[in-house]
Amino acid sequence: MALLKVTFDQKKRVKLAQGLWLMNWVSVLAGIIIFSLGLFLKIELRKRSDMMDNSESHFVPNSLIGMGVLSCVFNSLAGKICYDSLDPAKYAKWKPWLKPYLAICVFFNIVLLLVALCCFLMRGSLESTLAYGLKNGMKYYRDTDTPGRCFMKKTIDMLQIEFKCCGNNGFRDWFEIQWISNRYLDFSSKEVKDRIKSNVDGRYLVDGVPFSCCNPSSPRPCIQYQLTNNSAHYSYDHQTEELNLWVRGCRAALLSYYSSLMNSMGVITLLVWLFEVSITIGLRYLHTALDSVPNPEEPECESEGWLLEKSVPETWKAFLESLKKLGKGNQVEAEGADAGQGAEAG
Amino acid sequence: MAPVLPLVLPLQPRIRLAQGLWLLSWLLALAGGLTLLCSGHLLVQLWHFGTFLAPSCRFPALPQVALAAGAVALGTGLGCAGASRASLDATRYPPWRGVLGPLLAAGTAGGGGLLVLALGLALGLPVSLDQGLEEGLGTALAHYKDTEVPGHCHAKRLMDELQLKHHCCGRHGYKDWFGVQWVSSRYLDPSDQDVVDRIQSNVEGLYLTDGVPFSCCNPHSPRPCLQSQLSDPYAHPLFDPRQPNLNLWAQGCHEVLLGHLQDLASTLGSMLAVTFLLQALVLIGLRYLQTALEGLGGVIDGEGETQGYLFPGGLKDMLKTAWLQGAVAHRPAPEEAPPEEAPPKEDLPEA
Repeated sequence: MALLKVTFDQKKRVKLAQGLWLMNWVSVLAGIIIFSLGLFLKIELRKRSDMMDNSESHFVPNSLIGMGVLSCVFNSLAGKICYDSLDPAKYAKWKPWLKPYLAICVFFNIVLLLVALCCFLMRGSLESTLAYGLKNGMKYYRDTDTPGRCFMKKTIDMLQIEFKCCGNNGFRDWFEIQWISNRYLDFSSKEVKDRIKSNVDGRYLVDGVPFSCCNPSSPRPCIQYQLTNNSAHYSYDHQTEELNLWVRGCRAALLSYYSSLMNSMGVITLLVWLFEVSITIGLRYLHTALDSVPNPEEPECESEGWLLEKSVPETWKAFLESLKKLGKGNQVEAEGADAGQGAEAG
Repeated sequence: MAPVLPLVLPLQPRIRLAQGLWLLSWLLALAGGLTLLCSGHLLVQLWHFGTFLAPSCRFPALPQVALAAGAVALGTGLGCAGASRASLDATRYPPWRGVLGPLLAAGTAGGGGLLVLALGLALGLPVSLDQGLEEGLGTALAHYKDTEVPGHCHAKRLMDELQLKHHCCGRHGYKDWFGVQWVSSRYLDPSDQDVVDRIQSNVEGLYLTDGVPFSCCNPHSPRPCLQSQLSDPYAHPLFDPRQPNLNLWAQGCHEVLLGHLQDLASTLGSMLAVTFLLQALVLIGLRYLQTALEGLGGVIDGEGETQGYLFPGGLKDMLKTAWLQGAVAHRPAPEEAPPEEAPPKEDLPEA
């Protein structure tokens, strides 16, 4: 008993072929869109790879780019096949290739679904990469004289201004590192000497933050230094002051940005996957309908199309049998063992 | 009465004219659409910078007029494309015959007038932009501290965002901030001797410092930003106020905004010039086509040669005909003469 049998007359077959041709070209466009989405994500990740210590995983954008290219290739080929299927002479030369091509299409659809799911699952690994990368980046903030790290200050400042964030988890992260270079410290000042002596590593730690943490919406001019000292500033209480600096940490800000990007890409890829599945099903129907035409000289007759010739369990059994036969053909010397296996399973 | 600039148009050149006109009309529609987009973009930019432009500045009139001119050019282009397409097909031409006259008149008067006005504005208005920006930025700087005054409470945030985004500081340089009080009195400690000294040191009682807001800081600078005590050579190690300050943005916001808006205005001006040229060509071509086809009595495929012209008679004759018609219509009240015709044509009714 065939799976989901549908009867096709000549007109229906022609309509199916034309509809599939159009869908395939729309799908080529969708493949181009997925390619450009992958490219965009790759560029966005590269732009901020300093914040991720250059160790971020490019698996998602690379696979989106690959899937986009493959989709374009497969769908333009399928479009050509659908166009040729209207002419029996041209279709005859495609006939032997259709079954393996359909198998490849099914495999491609499975991989596309996996890639779409990956888009949603990458969040966790991105979070840990960001936390580690930002911590290191902040450590190098002051090294504007060290070649290879001199750009870190500019990168972090622009990041904090653009994403409206401060520090790794919050502005207090800046209190724990020395972000002012020794070059600009006056070592003859008592205050500087006290601060350096106050900790084991001899670092100049302040309860202050760089200017890029300042929030322009605050009603008062930005307070950057002596943040925990209420008496240093008039009418200031550091425990209730919320508008002075950005409250969000840069890790949360970047994570939410990349998550929303990857989520929307995942949704678009899922929609394209659904479209591709419907194209594969249509192509299978066209293939079986054209194959089951009883008399090729009489194109007006009706034929039947189906998804699988037998029901699912029977098809699975037949598939396993053909695999075993393949194994038997290859292993001539172990013929005895194979026959034994065949006897047990059959 | 001799026709003005006549042109003999047999069948083949007529067809060529119609085809060329169709192409030019689509180009005109494209140019009109681009002008629309350009003026829309300029309007959006002006809306963004609204606080920094004095209300008396007349610069926003330019994108508004250009918007109207672009819309009319787009409509004219589409109409002329339809007309030239119809003139190649005998069955589709008759309904267009009546429309062509008004279309040409509307295109010339409305579209041409608007375009000329827009071009004039594009050449003349950028001068007033300078003045408007000067006033507007001065007001914004003065109101930076007024974060609790209704009507000016957004000045600080907008000024900070302007300086951060456009990489500029103050009006013409960072020293402009030394001349205004940018710290609100609400956050000044009245018992602090330094504050009292500063307030008493000037006539208006303003708290002036040699410091700048944080948004002036340049992230490319290798040292953490120095914002305060910028005139004091001993306040910070390795800092010399006499050297150019690398800490802060060097450009003033006036120059940056002026350059940005003038660039947009000059792009818009060149788009308007191109649209004007295309519109003139299309309208002249359509006029020739119309008069040539009228000469054949509206029959498209007529093999005969006809003449196309711009005006049926000379300009003087046309005005004379118009005056006589006007005089006949106004016979019961002869003192109400058409004002523009009256001075040179006084002697004509007697003649």
